[in-house]
Amino acid sequence: MNDRPGADGKPESRADGMTVVSYLLGGLAVWGGAGWLADWALGFETPVFLPIGLILGLVGAIYLIVTQYVRS
Amino acid sequence: MSADVRTVVAAAADGCEDPHIFNDFGCGFEAPTTSLFFPTPWLDFGLPATSGITKYTALLVVSVLIVIGFWFFTTRRAKVVPGRGQSVAEMLVVFIRDQMVRPGMGKRGDAYLPLMVTLFLFILTMNVMGIIPGAQLPVTSNLAFPAVLALSIYLLWNIIGIREHGFAGHFKGKLVPGGAPAWILPVLVPIEFISNFVFRPVTHAVRLFATMFAGHMLLAVFAAAGFYLFNPDAGGILGVISVGYSGMALVGFLVFTAFELFIMGLQAYVFVLLASFYIGEAIEGAH
Repeated sequence: MNDRPGADGKPESRADGMTVVSYLLGGLAVWGGAGWLADWALGFETPVFLPIGLILGLVGAIYLIVTQYVRS
Repeated sequence: MSADVRTVVAAAADGCEDPHIFNDFGCGFEAPTTSLFFPTPWLDFGLPATSGITKYTALLVVSVLIVIGFWFFTTRRAKVVPGRGQSVAEMLVVFIRDQMVRPGMGKRGDAYLPLMVTLFLFILTMNVMGIIPGAQLPVTSNLAFPAVLALSIYLLWNIIGIREHGFAGHFKGKLVPGGAPAWILPVLVPIEFISNFVFRPVTHAVRLFATMFAGHMLLAVFAAAGFYLFNPDAGGILGVISVGYSGMALVGFLVFTAFELFIMGLQAYVFVLLASFYIGEAIEGAH
């Protein structure tokens, strides 16, 4: 909170922890949710698309964090 | 609905042998629960989905009057060489500009300084209502108030983004991450959407609400423990232990009251800082 870069009047890059966390949670929620919905719609007893969706969402979120905050 | 003086007095008049404050009927002991945050309305109009005029409403009005009064009395005869009240007001404005607005928006943020100053003082006043004796209920511990404030910042964020970059430009900048190949975009755009358009305003509101809620609950538990554990007539060692626990709870109550004051200021600061980051990001466009 203190000694933020950019306190001299220039906007800093928004690499704050909240955005990173919300990317991770958002990825899991969106694609995990889509997988869960697919399982529910297709009537699978054991979840098939749920783990696929969770992994896809996690990978997407990490990719997003890397491109937005690590490589920039 | 939580009990207050009225319900406890009514319960005692009703022949209740053991009137207490922490449950719905003012009778029989119960530890403090979340019913603390649903005060019994003073005036109930019976409209659906409304709470009537409660302690929250009254404290909200008081907060508004305090903020208006502060600015009226400190700036009504503004001079080049400021007096005492005007110095305090100017220090506050400069503090908000340098610590919250400029880190988020740069020099262009000065146009939004009046909004941010108002927001900071309003939220701080609503928070501090939690430790004013007699009031002792932070207005922001009801999710409705932070939610409306966060919603207004969210709308402003969209409006400014659309005004600065056009409708398509704003949503493209917020939804399509730069530097990602096209084939991966179907995976990323929903994540960006849920993260920027859903989670962010929600966390913006919940962060303020949850800290105030938890802090008030903590103070209520310590105060209740200090009161109910005080039982010197328990006999011998038990009386000593009970008075000792009661003293510890009261010391904890004082310590956490001071800590709450710090948290109240910090949360108002964080809310305004995040608001300025969001609006600064809308001005700046693609991230």
